[in-house]
Parts: sequence; structure tokens; C-alpha cells
Amino acid sequence: MVDTNWCLSLFYERDHFMRITAEAKVATRERIVKAAAKLFRKNGWESTTTRGIAAAAGIATGTLFNYFESKEAIVAALIAEALERAEQEIRNRDESLEEELFTFIWTELASLRAYRKFLADAAESILSPLRRYARESAGDSIRANHLEAVEQILISRGVPGPLPAVTMQLYWTLYLGVFAHWATDDSANQEDTLALLDQSLKLFITSLPRPGDQHHEDESE
Amino acid sequence: MKTNLNDLFAGLPEEYSSPDVLDSDDARERLQAIFADLALKPVPVGSLKRLWTLGELSTQVTLAYIALWMRGWFADAETKQRSEMDTNLRVALKMIHGLGYLRGAATKLGQAFGSLPEILPEQVLSTLDSLHAQAPPMHFSLLREMVRNELGRDPSEIFADFDKQPFAAASIGQVHRATLKSGEDVAVKIQYPGIARAMEADLRNLMALILPMRLTRNWENVKGSCLAVQDMLRQEVDYIREAENMRQARALFGPEDGILVPRVYDEYSTAKVLTSEFLPGPGLKEFLAANPDQSLRDEFGRKMLVAWYRLFYSDHSHSDPHSGNYVFLRDGRLGILDFGCVQHLTASEREVLDRGEAIFDRKITLEELLRVFGIPESDIANPEYLAASRRHNEWLAVPLWNEGPFDFGEEGFFRKGVESLQEAMSKRVTAPPMYLYLLRSIFGWRALGFRLRCRVDQNTIRRTELARRRNRLSH
Repeated sequence: MVDTNWCLSLFYERDHFMRITAEAKVATRERIVKAAAKLFRKNGWESTTTRGIAAAAGIATGTLFNYFESKEAIVAALIAEALERAEQEIRNRDESLEEELFTFIWTELASLRAYRKFLADAAESILSPLRRYARESAGDSIRANHLEAVEQILISRGVPGPLPAVTMQLYWTLYLGVFAHWATDDSANQEDTLALLDQSLKLFITSLPRPGDQHHEDESE
Repeated sequence: MKTNLNDLFAGLPEEYSSPDVLDSDDARERLQAIFADLALKPVPVGSLKRLWTLGELSTQVTLAYIALWMRGWFADAETKQRSEMDTNLRVALKMIHGLGYLRGAATKLGQAFGSLPEILPEQVLSTLDSLHAQAPPMHFSLLREMVRNELGRDPSEIFADFDKQPFAAASIGQVHRATLKSGEDVAVKIQYPGIARAMEADLRNLMALILPMRLTRNWENVKGSCLAVQDMLRQEVDYIREAENMRQARALFGPEDGILVPRVYDEYSTAKVLTSEFLPGPGLKEFLAANPDQSLRDEFGRKMLVAWYRLFYSDHSHSDPHSGNYVFLRDGRLGILDFGCVQHLTASEREVLDRGEAIFDRKITLEELLRVFGIPESDIANPEYLAASRRHNEWLAVPLWNEGPFDFGEEGFFRKGVESLQEAMSKRVTAPPMYLYLLRSIFGWRALGFRLRCRVDQNTIRRTELARRRNRLSH
């Protein structure tokens, strides 16, 4: 006869053990990101190495690669977090499309504010459209995730989909411009970027296909 | 100037460049003429273009612009042409309105035009009125960031209530109604981001370019005017200075005057956010729509003029008296808003003005006045120049040479003012730089008096306020 209690305890312990491992993993990951952000800020993007990051996080360099394949990937993680916050921010809001896009982008940038200094350099190697095709890059996922979120916003606001590739490319070009400006903006509270973002979005929105653009036959009624 | 114009055309949103409007060569030419007039000289550097137009629009060119249009209307009274002209103006205004930082200037332009009713075709006026009322495109999310940046917290945390919809367009921002946690109703004016810095940078470039030049015979005068414009623009983007202007102005009026300048709430004000007491009551348009009787119109007209003289004789001339800056309170008091454009007269300017004012008491001749103003003898000897100066000066002086109430609502009188100004400009009549804003101020309030159709004893008001000033100085 098998002791049911014994079986159960075995199961719970395993679960407990796995949970600890998962928590430890999250904690290590967080430690790496934190250590990296600190080093980037202190030593700049170029001079910071994965070896240095691993040492600062108190782990072996090899272990670091279990979490992130490169320092670009660490920055991508930071940006992904900011993107998540931005998506959270616009949930359940009743705003115009322009306002929603504004809130989305500005929330993302505001959550990255502490990293502005090194993001300018990091973006050069991660987000630059010229480097994108040179090699597999962490920038690809940043771009894809960001554009997916934007596409969702647009479609939920009645912009007829599927959105033309050129529309999304225009968005990305403007976004990168705003991002680059923000990263090096020396005006108080990046106020100049606020103005640039506002005007860039106005420009982008005028370029959007309007509902009915593809339904000319309806107009003949 | 052509390049500038083409740039502007290129920047036109589609709806404004509909073929029936801009494909007309005539319309294009006329528009070109306007923009040619907006610039004294072509400015080669791209980044300067914006400011050049901005500075010009908000000062004497506002008047030049009016004159240009007036000339068109009076010279060719044909209906077809009139409608073409007003289409052009509409296009020009909307175009400028759509141009980012120029929005502020466009609003100002609209306000200047909005003070000239009946002379302008109806269609134009409605465009202008929408410039008054239409909120500039700063949505709440952007505005919230500005408030957060300036006051440290969200509007919803700072105020008990904050209206997300603006109720007025300010020259470089917009105004929202709110309620303080302590219960007071306030008006919160918020500046569009980045404009102060952009303006400052442009000003620096512009002045570095202009000041060493000597384009005209009367260069010192032009230079002085440029500096006056510079100072005024700086003042307009700095709400701390505006708050100070308001405090000074508020202290000049007591309960017996029935004139009210809103109180400033310093704890909710910065260089880019200005929170002041909200004055409930209709603006000019609404006030007139209720068909107020003559005595009420006269009384408000009188208060406007008392306020104008009181400020002028305190050396804080209100340079922007357009209809949007007055509130006609139901209890009969006159509220004065917006002190972003106040001309602080220096002692030497005051001295020139004091001497010049003797012409209103008929104690000096026109020639003597021109000499006080430093006009070259060669101009004074020129009969055409002298005649143009005389007509303009007479228009300024007639209400003061009159005993008793003067009817500012008389169309012929007002029209004469516009014509004399046109003529003076065409004859290149000049005056000291301080006169730039002073004239704008005088013209502004006379346009209001005309619109209000009020009868006011300017002569008595001037004497009373002058005596008050002497009294103040002797203490």
C-alpha cells in the first residue's frame, strides 16, 4: 500500500523546489539587468562588457549567457519592460487615437528616463535601421513588438487594416527620430521632445488610411 | 521671400490647397504680396524664417497686414475681388495657424483682425472668431505632461477639478478652467512645450544677423524696433513676468474703479503655467449679442479707457487690448486679462511722450512733435510726409480736442484711422521704437471702442488720470 501522504508531500516539495528555482531565475535576471544598467550609466555603452556585467551581478560570464545572449539583449529587455508599462497605461482609456499614441510613446520613454544617457549609444547599435540587416539583432524584436502594439492601437481605433507596410515604416522612422531626439534632448524634462512627438504624431495621423478608403463602391449609393 | 512662400505652400495641408483657392494666379499673387510685406528683407537661413514671420506678425506688420488688406478693399470695391481677398486671408490665416510654433502668432493676428469688425467681410470675421475661440491642438495627455513638468504633479492631483477642454486660446498655449482645492475658480494658462527655448534661440540668431546691418537710412530706429520686439517676445513666453505685470496692474485699481485684474496664484504658477483668478462673465461678442443699451456700452467703454490711461501713466502700457482680453462682469465691473504684452516705458521714453503729449493740448505744432520724436528735418520739410503725419496725428487727437463724450462707434472715424495709418506707412512715416507697441495698443482699444459703439469722454479721462499720475509722483 502506497502512503498517499508521502506521495503528496513528494509532489509538493517538487513544486516548492521548482518554484524556488523559477524565483531564483527571475531574481538573477533582474540582478543582471540592474547591474548592467548601472554599468552602462557609469562607464557608457561601448566600454561595458558582458564580462563586467557578470562580475557586477556576481555570476559567471557563462551563466550570464544563459539569460542574455548579448548586452544588446539586456537593453532590449529594459525596453520591453517599458513597452509593457506603456501598453498598461493606455488600457481602458477613452482618448483620441492621437492622444493614445502620444501616451503610449511618452510612457515608454518616461519609464526609460533613467537610462537616457546610454540609450543614445545603445540605440545606435541596436535600433539603427542601417545596422538592422547586418546581423541578427536584438533590435528586430524591439521593433516587431513595438510595431505590433501600435498596429493593435490603430486597428482598435478603426484604422482599416491590414496596415500598409509603408505606414508602419513611416511610423517607425518617426518613432526612431523622436527616440533619438529624446535620448539627447537637453531641454528641461525633455520638453522639446514633447513638442517633437506631438508634431510627429500629427504628421503620422494625416498619413493614415481613413475608414472607407478602400470602399469606394459604398460611396456611390 | 519667394522661397519662403513656396515653403509655406508646400507645408499646406491638403484641404487648404484646394484648386479653387490657390490655383488662381491672382490669389497666389496677392498672397505673395502679403508675405513679401511680412518680411523687411529676405532671410536666408531656414531656422530664422519662422521667427522672422513670428516677430513681424506680432508687431507692426500686424498693422501693415491690416493696411494691405484695407487698401485692397477700399481700392477695388468689386464684389468678386472682395471675396477673393477674403478667401486669401482665410487661407493665409489657416495656413499660418497650421504651422507649429507660428500658431501663437496666427492667434495674435486673428485677435488683431477680430477687433476690426464691419470693415472685414463676414466670412473672414467668422474665421477670425474661430481663431479666438478655437483651442490650439494641445490634447490633455500632452498638457498633463506640461503640468507635471512644471508643477510636479498631475492636474487631477493639484486641482479639485480641472476641465480637460480648454476654454480659450492663449498666444502660445491654451487656457483651462479649474477649481483649487480651497474652492476658488481659476484659469490655468499652459504654454506649448519647447516654445520659449525655440524662440530664444531664434531671437539670438536673428539679432546677431540684423543688428550689424544698416539696411535703411533710419537704421537706429529699425534697430530699436527690433529690440522692442525682442523684449516683448521674451516677455510673452515668460509667465513669471506676466504674473508680475498682473500684480502691478491689479494694485492700480480699487473697488471704486469697477475695474478688476485677476489675482495670481503663485503656488500654481511657473514660467510656463500661469494660474489666476477666473472672472465669470461674457466676452465682448456675447456681451454685444445681448443688445446692451447705450449707457451700459458707454460705461464699459469708459472703464476700458480709464484702465488704458491708468496703465499707460503708470508706465505699464497694456499693448494687447483686443476683445479676448476683456470680461464684462454681470455686476458692471470690467475684467482685464492677459498681461503677457505690457510695454514698460523707461524714464527717457516717458520724457519724450510727455513732451509729445503737448500736441493734445494744442501746445505744440506737428512739426515740433516730429522733432521731439527725432524725425529728420528732411522728412519734416517734405510736404507729403508732413501731410500723412498730420492726418494720422489728427485721428489720434480728435477725441481729445473734443469737449464731452466722443462717439467711437462712428464708422467714418474708425475708417479714417485705418486709412491714415495706411497712408502714414506708405509714406514711411516713422516714430520712436516705443511707438510700435503704443500704436498697436491705441489702435487695439479704438477698434474695441468702435465695436462696442461707445461714447466716451476721452478728454476728461485723460485729464483725470494725468492728474492722478502727477499726484502719485509728487508723493
